[in-house]
Amino acid sequence: MANKNVSVWTSIPFWRRSAAWVTGFATILLIWLTFDTLGQITMGTDADLKNGVDKRVPAATVINYKIDYKMSTKRGHEVPVIGGKQLFFGKEWSAKEAADLLHLGKLTSQAKNCMNCHTLLGNGAYYAPDLTKAWLDPAWQNGGPLQGMTGKNTVEEAMAEFLQHPSQYPTHARMMPNLGITADEAKGLVAFLKHMSSIDTNGFPRNFSKTVDQFKSGGTNAH
Amino acid sequence: MFGLIEPFTDVNHSFFGMLNQGPLTLTIFLHTIIILPMFWIYFSEKKRLNK
Repeated sequence: MANKNVSVWTSIPFWRRSAAWVTGFATILLIWLTFDTLGQITMGTDADLKNGVDKRVPAATVINYKIDYKMSTKRGHEVPVIGGKQLFFGKEWSAKEAADLLHLGKLTSQAKNCMNCHTLLGNGAYYAPDLTKAWLDPAWQNGGPLQGMTGKNTVEEAMAEFLQHPSQYPTHARMMPNLGITADEAKGLVAFLKHMSSIDTNGFPRNFSKTVDQFKSGGTNAH
Repeated sequence: MFGLIEPFTDVNHSFFGMLNQGPLTLTIFLHTIIILPMFWIYFSEKKRLNK
């Protein structure tokens, strides 16, 4: 076969085949990635929690457990660690009650447009603190200034009190306005925040512990 | 091998998760497998045009 002076680059069938290959491959890949993601983001079950099965997104009943956040040297960032039982608003919530409460919290977070100022799981604004791991913020724990200012004894009661009367409490240079959140909605929101802090976000937001250390040594904001 | 493949550390096992452990990222992998067959398309077109 003689090697004639032909240009493949000006050949229409060449571009047509290349385009077909790239488009076809990308289509199959996107479908595969969709199913791959479903497995990653599917919520765990109450049985998973009881059996200690790690899920990226635990069941709603995770609100009945103590949630810790620890550095994993293996993964190179912090991961949520679900510990022993912990009462939430003074009781243990059944799977149905927990799911309903979380649902109310999610709807309230959407209705009150939290993301207009805050960031949740990487979505939203940075006008106000990142809420992804807000439940773990030491300022809300026992002895922390945010819990102290509300006069409550638990993280959930302190957060619920603050959410109902945010404009009464000096928190941030940009104080949160009163959004008319009811007592039930506040409970739902706190459940929503507690559940969110138990989601394995591959270490997002970064350097949480570093900012916590800064906060403990006199900084003003744990995020 | 040159640190390109590192032990899997993610929570859920997945094929794309494996690709994302080390410097051999999803982007490099996808570019490789999309572009390599295009060489074959190029040479087969060249052969066809030469005929």
